[in-house]
Amino acid sequence: MTVWSWLRLTAGLWLMRKALRGTRWLLAFAIVVVAWPLTLVTLSGYGVAWWRGWPPARLGRTAACSLAMLPVWLAVAAIHVHQLRAAALDGVRAWAHGWPPHLPVLAAARTFVLLAPATVPAGLALAAGSWAWRKYAITAGLGGRTASAPITFDNRQWKRQVRTAKGLNDAPGAVPLVGRGGTIPVGGTIRAIGHHWDPVFTLPATACTRHMVIVGATGSGKTNLMIRLQAGWFTATLDAARAGRGNRPLLVVLDCKGGQDARRKADRTRRLLYGAGARRVVVWPDEAALSLWDVPARDLAVLLYQMIETGTGAAAYYADILQAVLSLAVTAPGGPPLNATAFLDRLGAKWLARAWSDGRHPREAALVHAAARHLPDIQLRLATLLERLGPALDGTGTLADADAWYFILEGTRERSVAEAQALALTELAAHAATNPYGEPRTMLLAADDYSAVSGRVPLSNLYERGRSLGIGLQVSAQSWQGLGATQDERYRIAATADGGIFVLHTPYPEPLTALAGKRRVLDTARKLVGNSWGDEGMTREQRAWTADPDIIRRLDIGQACYIHRGAATFVQVARPRPSPLTLLPPPASEPPPVRLPAPRPAAGPNPWPSPAGPNLDDIFGSGGAR
Amino acid sequence: MSPNPFAALGLPERPDLDDETVRAAWRAIAAATHPDRADGGDLARYTQASAAFAELRTPWGRSEAYADLVEGAWREGRFDDDDDEPGTAPLPTAPAAAPLQLHPVSPWQLLLALVWLPSRIRRGRPLRLLIRGAIAAGLSLAVLALIHGQPAAPADVAALITWFVLTGRRDLAPPPER
Repeated sequence: MTVWSWLRLTAGLWLMRKALRGTRWLLAFAIVVVAWPLTLVTLSGYGVAWWRGWPPARLGRTAACSLAMLPVWLAVAAIHVHQLRAAALDGVRAWAHGWPPHLPVLAAARTFVLLAPATVPAGLALAAGSWAWRKYAITAGLGGRTASAPITFDNRQWKRQVRTAKGLNDAPGAVPLVGRGGTIPVGGTIRAIGHHWDPVFTLPATACTRHMVIVGATGSGKTNLMIRLQAGWFTATLDAARAGRGNRPLLVVLDCKGGQDARRKADRTRRLLYGAGARRVVVWPDEAALSLWDVPARDLAVLLYQMIETGTGAAAYYADILQAVLSLAVTAPGGPPLNATAFLDRLGAKWLARAWSDGRHPREAALVHAAARHLPDIQLRLATLLERLGPALDGTGTLADADAWYFILEGTRERSVAEAQALALTELAAHAATNPYGEPRTMLLAADDYSAVSGRVPLSNLYERGRSLGIGLQVSAQSWQGLGATQDERYRIAATADGGIFVLHTPYPEPLTALAGKRRVLDTARKLVGNSWGDEGMTREQRAWTADPDIIRRLDIGQACYIHRGAATFVQVARPRPSPLTLLPPPASEPPPVRLPAPRPAAGPNPWPSPAGPNLDDIFGSGGAR
Repeated sequence: MSPNPFAALGLPERPDLDDETVRAAWRAIAAATHPDRADGGDLARYTQASAAFAELRTPWGRSEAYADLVEGAWREGRFDDDDDEPGTAPLPTAPAAAPLQLHPVSPWQLLLALVWLPSRIRRGRPLRLLIRGAIAAGLSLAVLALIHGQPAAPADVAALITWFVLTGRRDLAPPPER
């Protein structure tokens, strides 16, 4: 081959390639112009999706909805069979003569609406496909003019998605407290990764009957989210109960930080629950008191023991004595005490001796005798504890008296008291859940900032307790570290949250986002020639976070990421509002008065123990050496 | 702070006011009452309006203020259906001790939904709904005028009605207890 012939061949091939490409573009352009109604719909759909940050699925659904036009058109045409041919030909004729450059606008509009039953669904479907391709190309690095195009595209789309979600939340009827089928709407969906996309992100009510974790820094909108979930769960459960598909709901909220802010939150929650159909919502300890003494005797003894600081090491000896005395006082023949005064009376040596000296309990009588010299100390400690707990646990009420209880624990101001109260309240909740004599209720126990009171009952224990009792549990913490004392405990809590994990703005979301896992993405590296892309490149499969921690760090107020089953959905949480058509009903009956415990009798000299009594070590063993 | 920040800015007591409306009301009052004015302004009025604006400047704040008004109206026993005060729509109150009544699904619920519809429109976003309706009606009329008698006309009108129903329901207030 000569040089000349090689040059001719090369030039010919180049020209053929260019001609082929040019022909292809011309053909595409001709199709776009000829099918101008379809082009118009496609471009409109694509533009709206780009502007609103819609996912392609949204366009696809719109296309599916608009498919209803076609059967209507066919049905009407079938009714007038003789017109069918004429109608079809009329549409074709109008299209053939209806190109905008040649005919006035009215004729073009006529053509467009004549063909709309076919072009609208098809155009929207084409737009969905084009938009999906664009997103894929940009994400995979195949599209875009600059190397930073994927980052810019993603940031802009995020802003548009947020704007659309906020707009949806502003619509009064878009995000009600409960949706169809008992689902709980949370807010406008910003972005769904792996989850089914829906304009309004909803959770099934059953998600709240399992265990859910909410983590977010102060001011991130955590409380708002919790209130919405609680009100949604309450409404859905109440609806199901009214329809005969379950038990009435009982919502128990522990606000573990306390203060005035807690009371404002309690008021908001109450307003919502009244709007959702609740008849009685009680704020504790401001409005009503519960009876700690309703707990079954053996559980009560254990509870009282746990509420007292006992220490370790040599103190274990005295802890054993304390436990034994509490058990003797609470399980004495005749039933458990009815209130704090009666209980403290029982801690006297005379009372215990009289109670157990019926001749049928020689072992217990011996124990009383042995512990007698410690009784004044134990009585003093218990009196101090009950005094600190306040009168709100020494009333007459039970959890079953209301539809919802909002417990305010002063975990920030009086941590040790709040811890003891939390212990008692969770025990009362457990008792209410397992009480065979009361009305069965579907219960949700929500603990806001539980880490403030988790000293006595670690969150993991509460978790396992709730699981064993069938109580739905919703816990919130301000950070990953707030979920538990150790890394193992935190993982145990987060990894077993089968109701899902909500992560709001928090500076260290990695351990939580790791639970969503990673997803496969395509990463394209392209060669740059000068300042523009060259023809060479390489695409590799990479792994990326399903829930990107950097996005979570940048989340604004009210934005959350819901992680469940290896997928994530970013959502703009809507502020929960009761329907304006609902009047908030006042509680029809006054709350039960707070009963203060009667003043305790002054501690007098104790005639017991007798000098001839058995040695304590004979009864309990040499505990002091443990 | 004013007990009714909406009144302090001369605004209707609604939670769905937009930012621009609130800002415009505030600017008008501030311009008329600022203490730096030649006539000395009206410090008390200016302070009151400033506090109200600080409370109502965000959608969240407006919702909170509205919710507080609802609660206030409830406490004061203002349950007159005819006035436009927030949260005063009547609902039958139920005694706390009364057991809950079971309400099986019945065809009457459809009728009930129709009964509630005017209230839901009034308490929702009636203006937007009206605009949507006008657009749908206008386009439907245009379609009928352009291709009268053609089978495509009912299909186009059906699509417009579907669009109106699907998008317009968001502008309705939720039904009671939702």
